[in-house]
Amino acid sequence: MIGLVLRGLSTRKLRSALTAIAILLGVTMISGTLVLTDQIDRAFVQIFQQGNSKINVVVKQKPPFKDPQTEVFLNAELVTTVRAADGVWLAEPFIQVQGYVIVDGEAMDQTGGAPSFVFSSVSEQLNPYSPIDGRLPTASGEIAIAKEIATKSKAKVGQAVTLATQDGIKPVKIVGIVQYGDGSTSLGGSTTVLAPLIDVQNWWSLQGKASYIYAKAKDGVSDDELKANVRAALPQTDVIVQTGKEDADEQASVLNDLIGKIIRYALLAFAGVAVLVGAFIIYNTFSITVAQRTREFAMLRTIGASRRQILGTVVGEAFIIGSVASIIGIGLGMVFAWGLNKLFGVIGFGLPATGLILSWQTVAVSLAVGVGITVLASIFPALRATKIAPIAALREGVTLPVGRFQKLTPALAIVIAVLGAAGMVFGLISDADTTSRLLTLAGGAILIFVAVAMLARFIVRPVVGVLAVPITKVAGGVGKLASENAARNPARTAVTAAALMIGIGLVVFVTIFVGGLRESFTGAIDNSLKSDVTVTARGFGGSLPAGVLDAVRAVPGVETASPVGGTAAQVDGQSFALIGVDPKTITDVYAFDWNDGSNEAVQSLGTDRALVENAIATTLKLATGDSFKVQAISGASATFTVAGTYTDPTILNGFVVDQAALEPLLQSNATGLNTVFVTETPDSNPDTVQAAVDEALKGYPTAQVQSNAQQKEEVASSVNTILVIFYALLALSVMISLFGIVNTLVLSIFERTREIGMLRSVGTTRRQLRAMIRWEAVITSIIGGVLGVILGIMFGWAVCKGLESEGLSFVFPTVQIVIFLVLSIVAGIVAAILPARRAAKLDVLEALQYE
Amino acid sequence: MSTEITSTPFAVAADAVVVATDLTKIYGEGDSEVRALDGVSVSFPKGQLAAVMGPSGSGKSTLMHILAGLDHPTSGSVLVDGTELAGLNDQKLTLLRRDKIGFVFQFFNLLPMLTAKENIELPMKIAGSPPDPEWQATLVEATGLSTRMTHKPAELSGGQQQRVAVARALLSKPAVIFGDEPTGNLDSKTSSEVLALLRRAVDEFGQTVIMVTHDASAAAIADRTLFLRDGKIVRDAGHLSAGEILDTIKTLE
Ligand SMILES: Nc1ncnc2c1ncn2[C@@H]1O[C@H](COP(=O)(O)OP(=O)(O)OP(=O)(O)O)[C@@H](O)[C@H]1O
Ligand SMILES: [Mg+2]
Repeated sequence: MIGLVLRGLSTRKLRSALTAIAILLGVTMISGTLVLTDQIDRAFVQIFQQGNSKINVVVKQKPPFKDPQTEVFLNAELVTTVRAADGVWLAEPFIQVQGYVIVDGEAMDQTGGAPSFVFSSVSEQLNPYSPIDGRLPTASGEIAIAKEIATKSKAKVGQAVTLATQDGIKPVKIVGIVQYGDGSTSLGGSTTVLAPLIDVQNWWSLQGKASYIYAKAKDGVSDDELKANVRAALPQTDVIVQTGKEDADEQASVLNDLIGKIIRYALLAFAGVAVLVGAFIIYNTFSITVAQRTREFAMLRTIGASRRQILGTVVGEAFIIGSVASIIGIGLGMVFAWGLNKLFGVIGFGLPATGLILSWQTVAVSLAVGVGITVLASIFPALRATKIAPIAALREGVTLPVGRFQKLTPALAIVIAVLGAAGMVFGLISDADTTSRLLTLAGGAILIFVAVAMLARFIVRPVVGVLAVPITKVAGGVGKLASENAARNPARTAVTAAALMIGIGLVVFVTIFVGGLRESFTGAIDNSLKSDVTVTARGFGGSLPAGVLDAVRAVPGVETASPVGGTAAQVDGQSFALIGVDPKTITDVYAFDWNDGSNEAVQSLGTDRALVENAIATTLKLATGDSFKVQAISGASATFTVAGTYTDPTILNGFVVDQAALEPLLQSNATGLNTVFVTETPDSNPDTVQAAVDEALKGYPTAQVQSNAQQKEEVASSVNTILVIFYALLALSVMISLFGIVNTLVLSIFERTREIGMLRSVGTTRRQLRAMIRWEAVITSIIGGVLGVILGIMFGWAVCKGLESEGLSFVFPTVQIVIFLVLSIVAGIVAAILPARRAAKLDVLEALQYE
Repeated sequence: MSTEITSTPFAVAADAVVVATDLTKIYGEGDSEVRALDGVSVSFPKGQLAAVMGPSGSGKSTLMHILAGLDHPTSGSVLVDGTELAGLNDQKLTLLRRDKIGFVFQFFNLLPMLTAKENIELPMKIAGSPPDPEWQATLVEATGLSTRMTHKPAELSGGQQQRVAVARALLSKPAVIFGDEPTGNLDSKTSSEVLALLRRAVDEFGQTVIMVTHDASAAAIADRTLFLRDGKIVRDAGHLSAGEILDTIKTLE
């Protein structure tokens, strides 16, 4: 039997190849994603292990809760205790902050996702950096720069440059150029400057503080022994003692959670879409080929093939196609991973990566999905093949018997649609955790896609009937024939269109969703901000030097400058922002959208009252007059009474308190200032005032001055980047569905060989024949496009409504929808090229005699 | 199934391979009812080449299908090599067809992607039992196509294709071979090559062959000729010459 399967595949080469492509691209995405994220994962581990390679034990502060955005610090004095511990040979405090060097007026910072670090320079025995030119900085005012910066800026040892710090711009001198570890690992996009501890402490308001205390063991003392000794010397419960390796693994896993996992799941979601589209096409292809091979199966049955053997031939064929496609897909996945990594680099999200890693898990998952989905998609057609009676071999013009399953389709589809809708509603409104909500949401969407695909065949005839009118006008008799062909086998047209529907549907959905996100930001700026200019902190964990406020206030033309600060905090074990405002000025720059409360409530906040954002109040079941306890990341805590609730999921999203109440809850290095909202006097020129503010803040490199329009632009541009990535990933699914159209057309042309011969013999020109097939493809793609647009709008609307409290609003993307519809027509035309050519090439005489 | 209903008593030969008793086959219902077979009782002894003739629509194909277990009669019973077909499930019927029955159809006997040799071996492959190489060589020799065995069906003439189909039917040494107009698609020369092969299968290899034909000269090689009209056997004769057959056909019309 296996020989028969192979023989069948090799005689149907084109069809088998087109079917294989349908699953191949999905597998490519899966394996590529896994390869890439393994690389990132491995790179993080390597980076941190190299960083700690000279360190035996690490001591660090234990924050009351974890917040990936906030660095916590410990008392640097503890180093004396560590030094005194048994087995310690060397111990030094170390600080890591964000900052960058400015060479010849050009900032050597990162614009993408990776941070720009300033590290305090520890002695050579502990330092993961080693000089390749010059030396490590020791005296105040000296720095060393990473070789990546040196290459980019052409800065030399001995050159005088400046350093952007939290305390303004400091003049420094380069005394060395350093490399990380053995120089083989790149730190992704990040840039590093080394400076003496004392300078880092002074310039980042961290006097007496350290990020870590590093310890090195005496000869013969193991890491674990040293860890135990240091732990014994430091019984404080708010201090963590780890071996260098434990610390490296923890840091790698934190970063991996933050970056690697998000990339992995996001990309896998898109790969899943591609696989789903592929499954539709495989199902369709197998349905068509099984129908075409009815006689062959019947003949096999007459000569003694059992039903199981027939099932075996079809499923075996799927198995082979799936395996071959998966193996090629895994290979292409490596290329995909490489390309994606490059792409991330180009759009400014450079990621560290090691060489390509093809783990057995990647191979196993890719094979399982590729083969599994192909086999699964072939099972229904295969089961139908087993229903073919042997006698069909002897009768002319037999068709596949209608399966029991098929008769139940409408009922089943409705059940599936209801389940899908239920899943989506649950995903949108339940208060389960985000992961399970997203999964049910996605599962619901998939079920709805499947249900619509199942029902689509009932709308094919009416839709084609409507389309036939204009098409016949444009294309004449050929158009009429094309419409009839498209309607001849509604199930086939429906599934082919459904594959395209999924791609287009998701494209429309992300357009609406991302548009809603953008709208939530720009809408918030329009509705809530009364200020004209905003000063924010760039990078740097969000703190602005305290001097910024006075500098802004001194600018002529500035009417009000209202400071806003904040810290990470927890209430009832959930993390929120605690925001400190200046009650006297905040209402001049910001319009509260009150649910319960008034501007007077702001004036009377005092030190023990707080305003709560509405969605948070709902989550925590807080109402005006209720008290709640806030745990700040600094370790301090305070109790507040709710003085009012307001809605703002975007700008002041958290708890609003008086600056004075925030002060005692801050970490020692935090200034309590991260934003200044500025209004201008009515008679001043906005551009002039903004330029003047900019000029006044020249000494504060971390301060960023933006008009409202600029803020909106910035949001729009980052949102557009996301959209472009989404489009690119969805384009793959759309491409797969095009192969589906090609495949269906090739198969139906093959089936209609005689008919085409007849058309040609009665005078249809090759050109007319091509036009006929093109129109058939266009009809299919219009059905897919329209269904996709409708579903996409429905999903987009549902998700925007469901997330209204998070600020999402539904915007109807009219222009984009027109573009997508036009693109789906173009897609149909493109898909028809190959099949049309094949049909036109058929020899009239041979075609007529074709059996 | 009781034999009491049998209206026309008939003698069942001791060595009968196929025995049909009082077969009826009704298609459709009410006004559109068609009695394709209307009380057919017949038996075929081993080693006989029988021809079934009759006007179009007389029920020849229907009879073949029912005797071969491809279709179920409305009533009546069929024994093939001692096994009653009624009540066999699909799996048992499949096995019976595989082991006891050979087929030669008018069209589409061969899989286009397989060579002649592979087509001949196909039923044995499906059954998972190796063919007897000597027997296979004999059959290939008998087809006269020893040199064309690696060719695909598309590269063979209609007559050659039918000879391959006959060889395929014979390879498993079935109890009986059915042919529904096996030469219906061929001209008289190629047709006689196929008929000669069938004749040889009976004479030299001791096989049993039952074939439907419209061609008097084809039926003339048979040991026995049956005539059907309106679903009934109207004449059951021994060997007839082409002339006698043509005369009978005239009287039937
Ligand atoms: N599947 C079917 N459904 C309804 N009627 C059928 C079916 N198959 C055959 N018949 C009818 O049964 C009768 C006998 O048909 P059958 O095919 O056995 O004739 P035949 O003798 O083989 O004719 P021919 O020489 O044309 O092949 C005919 O009237 C035919 O129309
Ligand atoms: Mg017939």
